[in-house]
Amino acid sequence: MSNIFWSNIFKSGDSELQTITRLWQQTPLFEGIPQRQTEFLCAKMHLRLFKTDEVIFNLGDQGAGAILVLEGSVRIKASTTELALLELGDFFGEIALAATERRTADAIAVSPTRLVFFLKQDLEEWIEHEPRLGGRFLMNLSATLAQRLYQANELIAQQ
Amino acid sequence: MSSKHSPNIQTFKLFTIFVAICLISFICLITFYLISSVLLPVIISFTLYALFEPATLYLVRHNFNHSLSILIVLVILMIASFLAIGFALPALFDQVALLQSKLPQIASQLENFLTQYAAQLSSQFGIDINVSEITVSLLSQSSSVGQSALINVSNRLLNIIVIFILVPFLTYFLLKDFKRVRNNLMNWLPNSSFELGWVIYHNVSTQLNAYTRGVMLQSLIMAIVCAIGFSIIGLDIPVLLGFITGILNLVPYIGPVISIILSLLVGAAMTPFDPSILYLSVLVIIGAQIIDNVIVIPAVIANAVNLHPVQVILGIIIIGSLFGTLGVILAVPAIAVGKIVYNNLYADILNASRKSA
Repeated sequence: MSNIFWSNIFKSGDSELQTITRLWQQTPLFEGIPQRQTEFLCAKMHLRLFKTDEVIFNLGDQGAGAILVLEGSVRIKASTTELALLELGDFFGEIALAATERRTADAIAVSPTRLVFFLKQDLEEWIEHEPRLGGRFLMNLSATLAQRLYQANELIAQQ
Repeated sequence: MSSKHSPNIQTFKLFTIFVAICLISFICLITFYLISSVLLPVIISFTLYALFEPATLYLVRHNFNHSLSILIVLVILMIASFLAIGFALPALFDQVALLQSKLPQIASQLENFLTQYAAQLSSQFGIDINVSEITVSLLSQSSSVGQSALINVSNRLLNIIVIFILVPFLTYFLLKDFKRVRNNLMNWLPNSSFELGWVIYHNVSTQLNAYTRGVMLQSLIMAIVCAIGFSIIGLDIPVLLGFITGILNLVPYIGPVISIILSLLVGAAMTPFDPSILYLSVLVIIGAQIIDNVIVIPAVIANAVNLHPVQVILGIIIIGSLFGTLGVILAVPAIAVGKIVYNNLYADILNASRKSA
């Protein structure tokens, strides 16, 4: 239980929406997007609860958007190889925001996990509201995807 | 993937999902059939929602309150509708009255025309056709259709008033709350279908929005082009004919053919009869169709529905026979939605069965 004298009084007023906003703002996707706009967008996102070992998506599934880990952890794997273990504040599946490609790996909840889905539908509707900031977001998204590609190329070169 | 999901259980789950989808579709179809009388205001409201959502978003972007933006758009729309009704409807009624006065002339011209061809057929092929019997039957049918149309209009006056009251309210609430209600409904989806549900919704809404906006603009352009064309060639009632051609353009393939027949009938009733007006009126519609296919469709409905002509015609016949005129107009978007849902579900089931194999 938190001590009301010593705990951060500002942090105690941190609602779930503010937590989600803060976590997304720490990602490269929301670099340069004002907090008010990020919060507006986060209010439209979708919170889902997954049980331990529940499949979030399978390789080849149709992806609807990017996903942020709000609580718990997620294992990303391709066949039997574990690619990553994602925890609080990590995001994945952002390819689905840019293209209608299928999921390129499996994602499974390792423990009871709460995830925030940022859907392509929400992004497109937000871009209609805020075209200038939408352009900025898309630049961030392409930079993130380029970074992922660069990392994948390096991994292949090392093997 | 968890080891507890064996291939058999996966297949059973997929089969259950498939059966559930079939059942839901069947129930939707029956419900739609039963409530088809009140479906019209809902469909008009959704069409207005698709058409005017960009305008409200434009105002919201310019720092207007969301509710105020919707009210501004709806007030402008209602003023425009009243002006259109006030100015255009009397002109249209005049033209309808003119067409009505010309109906006997159209019948006699048709009889003359048929008599000439019947004589030719009789002399060349020995086929005897009783022309007067045909025209009498056609005339009696058309007069009974006209009378029943008048009775229908008076019976449906209450419906029309209800539509005029209901549509602005429905459109207001759709523009205001549709996305919130949609999100709440989509949150009911189980985790396993959540993303698939949104992918299908995204594809369907993108195509339907593009189709609705495109087809409305296309019909307006067709109506204007044909009305101008008919005026230039000197055909009677050009505005009414242009208006009808624009509406008929909502029905692919069949609509333009009916427009040609209508313009031919009006041209045939003109005095003095000039055969060149018939060729010219057909040319106007063909010219408008060329403009439509070469300029309007690529520019306006480029990424809208991509359906095979056979699918469209069969769909129009089947859905039209189930839901009448409304079904004929809604056949194309309904088939497009069905195709998207089927393609996405099929791809998902295929992927799941490949994984479980």
